[in-house]
Amino acid sequence: MKSNQLRVLFGIAILALCAVALPGKLSAREWTRKSDGKKLQATFVALEGDVIKLKLANGQEVPVQKDLLVPADFEAAQRFAKIGDDSLTVLSARKIDGMLAQTLVKQGFKSFNEALPDDLFVRRVYLDIIGRIPTRAEFLRFAESAREDKRAALIDELLSSPGYASNLFNYFGDMYRLNCDADFNNGVRMEPYIQWWKDSLAQNKHYDQIVREMITATGNLGQAPAAGFLLRDAGMEFDAFSNFGQVMLGIDISCAQCHDHPFEDWTQDDFYSMAAFFGETQRTLARYNVEDGMSMVAAKMPGAPEDWLDKFDEYAFSQGIPKPKADPAGYRQFGYFKSFLGWNVADIDGRVTPVPSNIGHDMAGKVFDPGTLIGDPAKKGGKTSREALADWLTDVKNPRFALVIANRMWARAFGRGLVEPVHDFSEDAIKNCSQPQALAFVANEMRRVNYDLREFMRILYNTRAYQSVSTGEEPDAANQYFFQGPLLRRMRAEQAWDSLSLLEEGPEIDSRKGRDGSFLKELLNVDFEKDSMESIFAKYKAWQGVRGERMGLATVAEPGTLTPSQARNDGLRASEMKQPADPASMLDTFGQSDRMVTDQHNYDGSVPQVLALMNGTVTAQLTGSSSKLVEDLESLDGPDDKVRGVFFTLLSRFPSSDELNLGMKMLEDYGDDGIRDLGWALMNGPEFLYIQ
Amino acid sequence: MIHQLIDLAGRSSHSRRRFIESTAKMTLGVSLSVPFLNPSAARAQAAAGGGGKAKSLIYIYLSGGMTHLDTFDPKTDKTVMGPSEVLNTNADPVKLGNLMEKTAKHGDKLAVINSMSSTNGAHEQGQYIMRTGYNKISTIVHPTIGPFAEELLGKRGEILPDSVVVGQGTSNAGYLSPALSPLPIADPTGGVPNTSLLTETDRFDRRMEIASKLGNQFIEKFKYHGPKSYVEYYDQANKLLKSTELEAFDLNSESMRDAYGMNRLGQGCLLARRLVERGVRVIEVVSGGWDMHQDLQTNLQSRVPELDQALATLIEDLSDKGLLDSTLIAVGSEFGRTSEINMNSGRDHQPAAYSTALVGGGVKGGQVYGATDKRGKKVESNPVKPEDFLATIGYAMGIPLDKTIYSPSRRPFTFANEGKPVEALFG
Repeated sequence: MKSNQLRVLFGIAILALCAVALPGKLSAREWTRKSDGKKLQATFVALEGDVIKLKLANGQEVPVQKDLLVPADFEAAQRFAKIGDDSLTVLSARKIDGMLAQTLVKQGFKSFNEALPDDLFVRRVYLDIIGRIPTRAEFLRFAESAREDKRAALIDELLSSPGYASNLFNYFGDMYRLNCDADFNNGVRMEPYIQWWKDSLAQNKHYDQIVREMITATGNLGQAPAAGFLLRDAGMEFDAFSNFGQVMLGIDISCAQCHDHPFEDWTQDDFYSMAAFFGETQRTLARYNVEDGMSMVAAKMPGAPEDWLDKFDEYAFSQGIPKPKADPAGYRQFGYFKSFLGWNVADIDGRVTPVPSNIGHDMAGKVFDPGTLIGDPAKKGGKTSREALADWLTDVKNPRFALVIANRMWARAFGRGLVEPVHDFSEDAIKNCSQPQALAFVANEMRRVNYDLREFMRILYNTRAYQSVSTGEEPDAANQYFFQGPLLRRMRAEQAWDSLSLLEEGPEIDSRKGRDGSFLKELLNVDFEKDSMESIFAKYKAWQGVRGERMGLATVAEPGTLTPSQARNDGLRASEMKQPADPASMLDTFGQSDRMVTDQHNYDGSVPQVLALMNGTVTAQLTGSSSKLVEDLESLDGPDDKVRGVFFTLLSRFPSSDELNLGMKMLEDYGDDGIRDLGWALMNGPEFLYIQ
Repeated sequence: MIHQLIDLAGRSSHSRRRFIESTAKMTLGVSLSVPFLNPSAARAQAAAGGGGKAKSLIYIYLSGGMTHLDTFDPKTDKTVMGPSEVLNTNADPVKLGNLMEKTAKHGDKLAVINSMSSTNGAHEQGQYIMRTGYNKISTIVHPTIGPFAEELLGKRGEILPDSVVVGQGTSNAGYLSPALSPLPIADPTGGVPNTSLLTETDRFDRRMEIASKLGNQFIEKFKYHGPKSYVEYYDQANKLLKSTELEAFDLNSESMRDAYGMNRLGQGCLLARRLVERGVRVIEVVSGGWDMHQDLQTNLQSRVPELDQALATLIEDLSDKGLLDSTLIAVGSEFGRTSEINMNSGRDHQPAAYSTALVGGGVKGGQVYGATDKRGKKVESNPVKPEDFLATIGYAMGIPLDKTIYSPSRRPFTFANEGKPVEALFG
């Protein structure tokens, strides 16, 4: 970390050489021997236990015991082992800073807001990256660390910890409206799809790949869990396409569903042409037919041989399932299971989705050919329309896709997108935004890192702009904001919940698994061609054993079997709970999206929220008679340390001298009750709920 | 005009709703509130004829699909009626199912609509349109009656919110400001959650004082609307905790508890009456258990008498207190049920023809509007769509039905989606 300048220069050379350099390619650095301070130029190769493998300039590989080197070298080696070289990350962060600063100066700012102090930094990155406040111990570990690169190292550590995926999942849960309510959408249970999201984020699957899988998934939720994306809106195909426009292209064209867009150039024809990429796609086997309310649309099992459904019925009858006419109640559960198997996305040759009848005489019944709304036409070339659409979307020449997700990720870090609102902005808005150069650059960076969101966030978190004090005054919505620092943000409901859970349960909540869709996925994952009737019927039996509320929620599959086991249901992070959480729960009260409409999270305060913080169960636990807070601070000696301890635990910062005096007075007057009161007061000041 | 609205909606706004809250002033209830489109101009003028008399609404929503045949639209055909029979009321045209004896004494106050017709055969979708007037779609959430009424008529309450939903744990204001969200009371006997202090009042006050002392520095440091609004919410919560208004939610002291029925619907209606007395504008009382696919007879026995008792007591109680003329009671559900009794001795969904009922609030009692055929399967005269039903409620409340509201995404909406009020129901 000796010379940033050199690294930057080196980085520029790399960037100039290869436009699409991958992160992770390592360069030589200087290593220092502990005993005598002697330096060695070498490239990191691998870390095996306590042995660091280095490659010398002559190509020779040498193993070096960690104890031979200064501690900072071992820490660097650990980081390299995890994330590879970060010289491009640093370079990219500096470029963003340079672009922002240039505009800031032009606009009459001196530069960025002042640099964020360590204590505020640690709370901010914990909340932003892993979605919860740090524990007192985590706070102190960082505060007391003497590492020169401790900020970069903490960012890296948090980006690779399980809380990262949990926190990011909450964002996408809102954006993609992930909902596992059993009553929702004619009973489609989304747990396998939701699980697929969690697994994808935990594996750091690149975002373009996530989107491709969602758009092209074929099969039911067991065969292809990503099919949940299209099944989510089965029966509302054109609404689904409106959502598609918002999340993938940053264009809200929902008006064009019924009439030409009043303010933009989109016409109804544009809307239906673009929606026609899904025209041959059939979603779901069983759904209500509105004509008479009760009868299901009869269809063969998509993706199965022609006579499969009849054969499965016959087999079931031979196993004692009654015929539906003779005993409808006895048959019903079996019928439901078949519906589950058939909740399915399939491309049907020759299928079309005409414009619905409520749209108006001139449009109703029309069928459109697929056509793109913006950019180049899609190339079909023997692929399904959906595959062609995925190609078009993720193509390097697509003007919107990378920009939209880059801008959204930017908004997560800074509290506002470079262009707003993030789900709907025009080409003019892109041109006229406050930092157009930075916007273009981060869109390109998103492509350069191949939609690796973790790497992209690493860049943003390492910018000086991000590591600035939050802007003190709320910018006017009508005026431009130039990103002299992040904005003050209220915690998401999930961040508030996870932080409160942390205070109650400790950091083990990060790795605790709750509701898991793998059991349901396993039951639905059948191969209609190869699986025997017997084995599929066995899945029905297993399904019947646990159906109802427990299905796929608090149950996980025992590996290699069809036996479910119960997972714990309390002390879980928001991402591990039912999606979304129950009505009237803390999460609901603090504004968690109900997952009906994209980006529905609500950051407003309310009376029920403050009542929950004043008198709710978590507050009772922390500040009641058997107070966790008091217990946790018991080992500390002086009253000043205890007061600091309360501040570290709840606000992750040092108290000012006034605050310290006030706290000490309370301890003097009321003893342990003073700690309880101080804790209550810090939980009930607005600062607790904010990320500054 | 349009452009002005666009500016308000804030193309560059940080969140879809920020523009609403940025000028928000404080009210009590759930949240900050400000009608953003000139509420005084939108204020109701008493509608011509009999509309505009209802100062409050109690909407009894029977979730699951109330069987119209066994309640408000009984038939003489025994093959249709199954276990039920026709019951005459004290007003000739109004007939009820035989389990509604208590309500039958108030036929002269009932206006029954027997020609409801919808195209939504699924619960969620059916319920959605019966409570918002709009079809459920996945690009926007429409507000229910309470928030929409507050948007158009202006904020009314000082400490209590303008709308409350009983029997449901969550609520929202759709695309309107979250400030207008109804206060959800999941359990009518449970009161407002988290209103019992953790400590004695002195210590609570001490804690509060320190909290605001410490919190002030943060609020000084950041000149943002959000943290400041929390200070106001704390003020309001404190006021609420110490106000007598909170007593509205405490049913223990009520002498009428048994009369309403010791069940969720009965106690919900009782709570609704207490809230009407304190000026709350819209109370939705949601009660489930009406999805009677199996064993109709048993299910009717458990649900209909509850409805009968709660409704009849509510009518009497409001009438005794002189509040019936200014309070509209509406009874609704997502659809009716089939005239064929199915193989499980139940009735299935039937959106094509079903019933709703209205009482009080300027509605003329003792009348039946619209009719179904002999088997209750099809509407034969004066069809009423869910939008029309909502418009009728709006008409009774004096809500300007032609007033256009723009969502933050700049889509235009009106209360009840241009439904036509059934003016014939008003005296």
